[in-house]
Amino acid sequence: MMWLIICLALAVATFFYVFYLPGRLFLGPEKTRAGYLRERKDAVYENLRDLNFEHKAGKVPDADYTSLKSSLQDEAATLLAEIARLETNPVPQKGTRS
Amino acid sequence: MAEIGSFALLLALALSVYTFVAGIVALAFQKQTPQPAPQSGSQITHRSGASASVNDSSLVALLRRGSERIGETARRAGIATFAAVFLAAVVLVLCAFRDDFSIAYIFHHSNRDLSGPYKFAVLWSGQEGSLLFWSLLLAAYGFVLRLRYKTDPRLFAYASVVLAGVQIFFLMLVNFAANPFGILEGPLRPDGSGLNPLLQYPEMVIHPPMLYLGYVGFTVPFAFALGALIMKYPGEKWIHITRRWTMVTWAFLTCGVFLGAHWAYSVLGWGGYWGWDPVENASLMPWLTGTAFLHSVMMQEKRGMLKMWNMWLVFATFWLAILGTFLTRSGIISSVHAFAQSSIGGWFAWFLALSFVVFVFFFFKNKSHLISEHKLESLMSRESSFLFNNLLFVLLCFTVLWGTWFPKISELVQGNKVTVGGPFYNRVAIPVALLLLILTAIGPLLAWRKTSLESLKRNFLWPTVGAIAVAIFLMLTPQKWGAPFGLKPWQDIAYFYSLMAIGLSVLVTLTVASEFYRGGRVISKHTGQNMFASMVQLTHRNTRRYGGYIVHFGVVVVIIGFAGSAFNQDKEMEMKSGDKLTIGAYTLVCRSSTEDDNPNYFSQWAILDVYKGGKQIDAMTPERRFYHASQQTSTMPFIRSTLNEDLYLVFEGVNQDNGRPILRAHLNPLVMWVWMGVWIILGGTILALVPNAPAPVRVPAPARLQQQAQPAPVATGD
Repeated sequence: MMWLIICLALAVATFFYVFYLPGRLFLGPEKTRAGYLRERKDAVYENLRDLNFEHKAGKVPDADYTSLKSSLQDEAATLLAEIARLETNPVPQKGTRS
Repeated sequence: MAEIGSFALLLALALSVYTFVAGIVALAFQKQTPQPAPQSGSQITHRSGASASVNDSSLVALLRRGSERIGETARRAGIATFAAVFLAAVVLVLCAFRDDFSIAYIFHHSNRDLSGPYKFAVLWSGQEGSLLFWSLLLAAYGFVLRLRYKTDPRLFAYASVVLAGVQIFFLMLVNFAANPFGILEGPLRPDGSGLNPLLQYPEMVIHPPMLYLGYVGFTVPFAFALGALIMKYPGEKWIHITRRWTMVTWAFLTCGVFLGAHWAYSVLGWGGYWGWDPVENASLMPWLTGTAFLHSVMMQEKRGMLKMWNMWLVFATFWLAILGTFLTRSGIISSVHAFAQSSIGGWFAWFLALSFVVFVFFFFKNKSHLISEHKLESLMSRESSFLFNNLLFVLLCFTVLWGTWFPKISELVQGNKVTVGGPFYNRVAIPVALLLLILTAIGPLLAWRKTSLESLKRNFLWPTVGAIAVAIFLMLTPQKWGAPFGLKPWQDIAYFYSLMAIGLSVLVTLTVASEFYRGGRVISKHTGQNMFASMVQLTHRNTRRYGGYIVHFGVVVVIIGFAGSAFNQDKEMEMKSGDKLTIGAYTLVCRSSTEDDNPNYFSQWAILDVYKGGKQIDAMTPERRFYHASQQTSTMPFIRSTLNEDLYLVFEGVNQDNGRPILRAHLNPLVMWVWMGVWIILGGTILALVPNAPAPVRVPAPARLQQQAQPAPVATGD
């Protein structure tokens, strides 16, 4: 009989924990395209930092460094431009990106 | 007690089903009713449950709030699932310690005289218990995931639903197909049948948990990947979120695979640590694809490339982990390691098929979301080295998969079972491993996008010269120095492979060292610190990269250990007191043989004095045991390990005619390097998990970044 009481108590406690929701729910931000672009920008900046370091370490010759740096900077510039455009003229929120 | 365990399992199943269904309902409604734009100044939305509906009259907002609350209950049900499964596991362990032989599982896997740690290990020693343990670990991973949901609530909600789907399968198994709390029919037995003797070894208390943590853990990156695919998650942040999960899981799997190898070496008594057994292969396959994923995912993170490939790799890793569990349990392929066989194979086959269909459906539905943002610019680039590395890992995995299933395939096609052994696997695995070593040396020295010939020459010249010098040195030294000296590659193909493995290992070591040296030199120049302090700082600034290099170094040490197997020797002899056996530089003299009996087992062993160079250096006592409860025998080899070689003695048995012990001696060079390498790999992985120190080096954004006149479309994440 004891096991039945324990099981019942367990079920009640679980039900209470799952369905009793006092207070606030944390929902977090909806991810936007601008947010995504900022992440990409951070990745490109990190790539730039890595390239810079590898050049200083003597792993990347000057000619390679200049060309790689230039293409990464172009990529960063494109990202920054689109971020700026979205921040100036925000598009209506689409919610999910499906 | 059994009733409480059974109830806890049923409750866990109900909670998992609720997590899955309510999670889907909540996400479906949230998809239909987008979240309102966040108010300025705050990106985080908080809602009061009590006051929400008072001011907001729109149906959409109401549905949204309702779905948010349902989503929260789903999350909490997922958390409660862990508590319920944990309770079931605790009950089973308590039953083992209380010798409750009314429970069939305890009766079949324990006995009164079994020592405490093995009674604890009963939880994963048989079919039903190990499936419960699988469920427990999955629930534990889910518990942590659901507690950390604030990182990205929507992505975590999707991952939680996928995880709940997998959890339902395992909980259905333990509830309806392999219940660990099943009651033994007939009268209560005074004692149990005992634990399989092969499992009564200290490592078996930690090997299965490690392996299972690895197997189960790959469900988490898969859940995030599938969740991200279903919701068309913008960007690659899900990779960043799962990076640590993946590395921790990979470390557990690595640890599990090598603990299994060490257990096989120490217990099975055949003198080796890897026999290409199906169960060993089952653990290796997800490890191979998981390792490939750890590398290629960097390309997605850094360059937005290989998105589809990565999706397939993470799915394959998850799928192969389930396949491995299926292999060890279904009895479909025979193995010395398969401790649990039953009819649950059908359940696994259906689940494998279903998970494949679900993944393929969403993959093709949302394939457009996985378009690469960049193309491969040059064959001489870090990207291409990762690509080749991935192809080699996948080729190796396919070879292992083919060899493992070949007995079944040949049976279906030809009607007779053909088993493939070591030579089949080695023919592919050794050349592939050597090519992977070359890539391990080259990869870190190549730049992203492209690398010029000048750069290649600059980075490779000295490491290559060093590696060739070491190879020549090994060829010129006399063989009497012991393995691996005096390697003559023309004498045997095994020697050729060994020489290549060692030479390439030196190449990798030198490239890794040059990476630390070059980086340390830059820091030293800027800070004025000494070289060692600079290298420490360098590592702390990019723990993932430099931790990864240490992992590569660990792999090199393991490979050197593998290379030693080309020089293995063994001898068998029936020995009476005073008899001598010579192997390599060792002479073994049999002093005596004896017997002992204790409540758990009866044992016989021999005592041998070990001489080297005419001097006694040790005494060894290989043993053979007969376990009373299970009526099974097991060998306990005696292993004398040094950095150079292992002297491995096995008590094979006793000649029934004259009562003399039969002993087999193995001389296995460099085996200790394998275990040392694993410790280095684990150390490197732990280091890679440490957060980076902030980088003081700043790259100023050039003015032209701010002055882009015409915004051009960029690669999209969705």
